[in-house]
Amino acid sequence: MKLVKTIATGVLLAGMSTASFAGGHGFKCKVSEDSMAKPGGFPDRALTMIVPYGPAGGSGQVASAMAKAVTELTSVDINRDHKPGGSGTVGMTAYMASPADGYNVLEHIDDASSAHALDSSKPNPGKDLIPLVISQVTFSQIYIRSNETRYNDWKSFVAWVKKQGGKATIANVSKEGSMERVSMKFITDATGMKIQQISFDKGAPRYGALMGGQVDALFEQPGDVKKFLDSGDFKPILTIFNERPKAFADVPTHVEMGMKFTPLLRFRGFYVNAKAPADRVKWLQWAFQRGYCQDSYQKFNDSKFMSVIDSYRDTDGAKTLINGAIKQYREVYKSMGMAVK
Amino acid sequence: MIENFLAGSSALFGDPITILIFVFGVIGGMLFGAIPGVSMLTLAAILLPFSAGLEPAQGVMLFAVIYCTGTYGGAITAILFNIPGAPENAPTAFDGYPMTKQGRAGKAVGAAVLCSAIGGTASALLMMAATEPLAKWAIRNIGPPEIFALVFFGLAVASSVGGNTIWKGWMSVLLGLLVATIGQDPVGGINRYNFGMTDLAAGIAFVPAILGFFAVSEIFIQAEKRAFGKYNAPKLDVNFPTFLELWRYKIAVIRSILVGFFCGILPGIGATLAAFMGYGEAVRWSKNKEAFGKGNLEGVISSETANNAATGAAMIPLLALGLPGGALTAIMVAVFQFHDMEPGPLVFYNSPELIWVVFAAMFYANVSILFIGLIETKTILQLLRIPFHFLAPMILMLASIGSYIGRGLVLDVIVMFLAGMIGFLLRRSGYSIPGIVLGIILGKIGEQNFAQGMQMVHYDLVAYLSRPICALLILAGAITLGTGVYRALASNRTGANQNQ
Repeated sequence: MKLVKTIATGVLLAGMSTASFAGGHGFKCKVSEDSMAKPGGFPDRALTMIVPYGPAGGSGQVASAMAKAVTELTSVDINRDHKPGGSGTVGMTAYMASPADGYNVLEHIDDASSAHALDSSKPNPGKDLIPLVISQVTFSQIYIRSNETRYNDWKSFVAWVKKQGGKATIANVSKEGSMERVSMKFITDATGMKIQQISFDKGAPRYGALMGGQVDALFEQPGDVKKFLDSGDFKPILTIFNERPKAFADVPTHVEMGMKFTPLLRFRGFYVNAKAPADRVKWLQWAFQRGYCQDSYQKFNDSKFMSVIDSYRDTDGAKTLINGAIKQYREVYKSMGMAVK
Repeated sequence: MIENFLAGSSALFGDPITILIFVFGVIGGMLFGAIPGVSMLTLAAILLPFSAGLEPAQGVMLFAVIYCTGTYGGAITAILFNIPGAPENAPTAFDGYPMTKQGRAGKAVGAAVLCSAIGGTASALLMMAATEPLAKWAIRNIGPPEIFALVFFGLAVASSVGGNTIWKGWMSVLLGLLVATIGQDPVGGINRYNFGMTDLAAGIAFVPAILGFFAVSEIFIQAEKRAFGKYNAPKLDVNFPTFLELWRYKIAVIRSILVGFFCGILPGIGATLAAFMGYGEAVRWSKNKEAFGKGNLEGVISSETANNAATGAAMIPLLALGLPGGALTAIMVAVFQFHDMEPGPLVFYNSPELIWVVFAAMFYANVSILFIGLIETKTILQLLRIPFHFLAPMILMLASIGSYIGRGLVLDVIVMFLAGMIGFLLRRSGYSIPGIVLGIILGKIGEQNFAQGMQMVHYDLVAYLSRPICALLILAGAITLGTGVYRALASNRTGANQNQ
């Protein structure tokens, strides 16, 4: 509890307090230039985007949508090279070994920050890489089945879990040091409840486990379960975010439920090697930040609940977000007794 | 149902563009399925961006058709060259390739064509009849403990295939299970046996291992025979099995349809487990277990019926619940999303016409496997005429590309050649290559579900076994295992007495 309070007062993630609830309709592009001259003819061929996850998951889809948007804008093709495995480390290693000439870009998620927090020999996405844009930022929620009879809101859920003596279950991706595992530590520390986390690395079995009653609750981000929310199968009972997003105005936040920790966000973005030529980096920053504003990309983000809070961070905003996350993860890992290198 | 099916058929064949897309999917799936290492997934990944320009029903239908015909396509190379086009065709090679070596390739390919069509069509019919209730039943009753129990049962049943003795069969399976533990553990994400190599943290991929153990080791064996003047080219045979020959296996076909369909409706499992389970059940119920792995037509029939029976079934959790059953159905989720749709219960209410076009297309795709498959088979069998010194480098090249293309890692090509060398040595010693592959593929699925299941029951084995389906499958697996050990010991004793 003490640690959680310390973190809550000491570390603030960038943009948390200033997050604008833009929504799809109120979107305003923050990049004014519609075009930018190619520096020295760069790029004169297709870019390669290394994606450390499979094509069908959240990263694969955001990579596809951003590649499409950038190509629409610049007429430069982007070939996606999926290198899944090792929680993103395989793709990251392959990327760092590729030429730092600006032709190779990387898609990655907050796992890159948590991996560096645990082991500083792994690339720091805020220093070894230059974030071109963070294009998806989202929060997590706790979900239950809509037809659940044992509990129907957060308070009754906590009371029920406490009565089970540690036998209640929640599905998530609870790999060592993951955002989900750390967030669940915050929640269980703050509420005093004991709950068994069941780790599913793929979405379908995870959602199926809740739907079929194999687990009692689910930890997930709203965009990933949008179809189950639309169909009425799942309902959120807790939003892990400092304020209630308009789309979930009737769902209490963890702060309202007396939990005083700074929520960890899930974020996906695009990077280039910090050693790439500066003029090329500048062009890429423009292309990806302006690509974010393309109608096709905005439509994609809307369809994924990614405009519920401000999903956009330019390079500086992304660095602040990443550095804050690394600091926060590192402190939590130490408190969990994990070997931080 | 019949009215909806007719409406779907009418929409499918009433528009020339839709017909063209259907034909493209049928032929494309078969071709990509048949080229070693380059699977239907490769075609699906290439086509994904283009699907945005199609009508929603056309886009989803195209991928569903590729799924049906691609699952069949990999059987051809598995039978002719010991190169399964995809993991779900691996059990087909167990008996299919020995049949080719015995000059019975025509019968094996003919049976694969017919049984893929039967399995897929039956599955499509079951899918049309009962998508929603079946999906809901599976999701409520089958969780990680049951899936682990199913894997355990499958391993117990099929472990005896291919080894000289039951002990060598089990040693092979255990080696496969050991290989499956390389990489991050599926629950905690802890690295194991990667020796500091990042690429190994992602584990050993199925495709390079399969290509190495089957195709590369076979090339080494044939090269050795050639070097010592013992090489005999496979005899070309274009005789398909007769109706009476196939009728003998009707029970095996029905059993494999049921097994394949059951495996197919489990989210995240799909056709691979179906093929292994179908094959394993054929072994279990056979009076002549020793014949499997040595060119038994029933092995080909069971595997190919089961993997295609899983295709229709895998659409059930996808369409009814929005839960993809495997990699290709996961890509289909993206196709839905390109068109601002989400697969799940609402699709049945919002877009029933789309659902029935897809159902009808899958039905006709499976039927067309029979006709197109039989026509192409006579041509494909001519590949056996290619001399070994041309064929072997071609296979090695295709296998290397196929190994690399999945994850873009040189490691996978190295793994393929290592697996080839290990397979070459183990096959000479009477160990089972199918057993190793079985261990690698089922080991990963089994370990993940075992760990999840144990977490769910709070590491209480009694609670684990109190789940009826789980207990039944584990009991059946244990009995199978016990019976096998008893028979092996009894056989050893008889042999010893005879020697005295």
